[in-house]
Amino acid sequence: MDAVPIDTLKSAPRSRLLPHGESVVASAGLALAALLLCVMSASAWWVHHTQQTVLDASRATQTRAAGDLLAETAEVLLAQDDLSAARRLVADTARAHEFSSCRIVLPDGQVAASLDVSENKLHQLPAPWPQARPGGAPLSADASRTSVNIPLAIPGRGQAQLEISSASSIGYGSEWEAMAGVGTIGAAALVVLLALYRRMRRKLRAMGAIREALAAVAAGETAMAALVIGPDLGPEAGAWNQVIAETDRVRRQAVAERAREALGRRQESSSDLDAACDALPQGLLVVDEKSCVKYANGAAAGFLRSKRDDLAGKDIGKFLDVAGVVQAVRDVATGASRRRQTLDVEQKDDGPAGVLRFTVRPVRRDDSGTAMITIEDITQQRAAEEARHRFVAQATHELRTPLTNIRLYVETAIEDGEADPAMRSKCLNVINGETRRLERIVGEMLSVAEIEAGSFKLQTDDVRLDQLFEDLLADYQQQALDKNVTLTFHLPPKFPVVQGDRDKILLALHNLVGNALKYTPETGKVDVVVEATEKLLSVQVRDTGIGISDEDAEKIFDRFYRARDPRVAKITGSGLGLTLAREVVRLHGGDVTVESRLNQGSTFTITLPMKTAA
Amino acid sequence: MKITEQRQGAVTVLKPEGALVEADAPALKARLTEALSASLGRFVVDLSAVPYVDSKGLEALVDVTEEMGRVGQALRLCAANKTVREVLDLTDLATLFDHFDDANAAVRSFL
Repeated sequence: MDAVPIDTLKSAPRSRLLPHGESVVASAGLALAALLLCVMSASAWWVHHTQQTVLDASRATQTRAAGDLLAETAEVLLAQDDLSAARRLVADTARAHEFSSCRIVLPDGQVAASLDVSENKLHQLPAPWPQARPGGAPLSADASRTSVNIPLAIPGRGQAQLEISSASSIGYGSEWEAMAGVGTIGAAALVVLLALYRRMRRKLRAMGAIREALAAVAAGETAMAALVIGPDLGPEAGAWNQVIAETDRVRRQAVAERAREALGRRQESSSDLDAACDALPQGLLVVDEKSCVKYANGAAAGFLRSKRDDLAGKDIGKFLDVAGVVQAVRDVATGASRRRQTLDVEQKDDGPAGVLRFTVRPVRRDDSGTAMITIEDITQQRAAEEARHRFVAQATHELRTPLTNIRLYVETAIEDGEADPAMRSKCLNVINGETRRLERIVGEMLSVAEIEAGSFKLQTDDVRLDQLFEDLLADYQQQALDKNVTLTFHLPPKFPVVQGDRDKILLALHNLVGNALKYTPETGKVDVVVEATEKLLSVQVRDTGIGISDEDAEKIFDRFYRARDPRVAKITGSGLGLTLAREVVRLHGGDVTVESRLNQGSTFTITLPMKTAA
Repeated sequence: MKITEQRQGAVTVLKPEGALVEADAPALKARLTEALSASLGRFVVDLSAVPYVDSKGLEALVDVTEEMGRVGQALRLCAANKTVREVLDLTDLATLFDHFDDANAAVRSFL
């Protein structure tokens, strides 16, 4: 048998592919060849044996018939004492019938006539006819496959025996020849088998691999990847791998289908209504007539710092520590109240600080007693509301001050203006200043409204920075003089013309410079340092004022925020100026930053990227 | 990673500064989770100083917004630059968040 190249397969790089099949094929081929050889040998032997038997039987019959004829003639010739004629007869008959030996033996064992001439020793028949020797073999008729003994009764003499021996027509020689023939045919058959095997080997290897894969499946192997066989094993291997891949795909599909079904069931179980309730940022609780929770959405669980599953079925009084809400629910449950009740609850103790608004209302108008509680986080609304209240109060104050001044100076001008032109001029100046202040305050309030509405936008145009700073200086010079504060503008010799919203940039600068003057006590100093490079405009407003604490520094840009310093509280302000300033500067792509030390002064810095006019 | 914090009314504006990458993601997530539990979700993440976000950073943001999703909220992001917006769009995660142009707009959304 040829060497099966198992090693070559084992050394193949495919680790999971079956490198097997070869050993199966090899042993199967070997067994088949041995079996074929045995069958052929057995068949040859059987044919030979049968043929031999038939031939022997036929030969024996022939020999018997020829022997009988020879016996009768020999008896006549021996009775006539014609020994030589009898010898010729024996020799002729033996040659004619191809007997291996043929002789007539007298009772004493002497040979009267024989095919073998050397045995013919008698010259004539003995006169007294010999008797059988005692102890000698009795003369009798006897026949076997190869020899025939016939008793002769020679008239006038006595008895004798004709012994014929006939050799088998197929001897040992021919038997070996037959065996050699069988061997040759067997060897030829083996060669043919070998050639066929060589040709069929790949196919057989594929079959072997498939068989082993099937055995693996029977043994419980479920990983499809382990059942894939080498694709180089021929089309059968390809087809097998295709079947495996298809099975794998179908199995995956089934798994995916099951997963989808399961998911579908889950999704079905959570209806659109549930999903919608869970998407609500407001907490929703439905409480039955026993004040136990029937339903809670995700937000409700979040607000109550609990889990939905924990809330379900629980008495509301056990987890809601708000007496008013619990009472309202009980009122609805008992039918004592049919009205909506709202309670704002400030949470301070533990957990997140904030204000939650609980609204309790009956679900139905009938007396089922089921109540619905909605929970909203109104902390920011509350903060905005408070800020607005503060703003209104401050804005009223801010507006009232210039208005009062204007009224007073108008009255003075009316009363004394005619007589005192200097006084009239002073009054008009004050009125002018206060009117501008009013205009600015109204502008700020409008800007705040725009920021609130999200419509605060820039109207970009060419801005001449030199003019802008001139206006600014003109606006504040008198105020600084009045307050005895040194206001100095450090301006570069040349300003570029930039793109931006002039009024809004001016508003931002007004707020910073105005604040600096406002919060700097008498004999203090305010410096406005302007630096313009090709890419950046930087304006530093330095003062020697009251300064800002670190805590406040983080918050002063928040809307409506005013520092907690009691000195600040004495000075009017809306808490909007810095918010606006930063908003404006940021809209221009820059930023406002602050550095400050309490009681030493502050430095506000505006940095604006330069967009020069084309 | 530096995360500055600003209060606007009852809303906290958290402003991470620097790229939001693997090394910073746990710190950011911890900070956001803390803000969530301390404020009932009244906070905003200002991404104006975040040049870019990697997968871990994204994961931290998604984890927080999913946590908020259980109580009907979503993480509010504002001022995300083009690169960050592209990352969110490409990963189909943009819809998990509420987006605003700037911190003020995000804060106003609580009203």
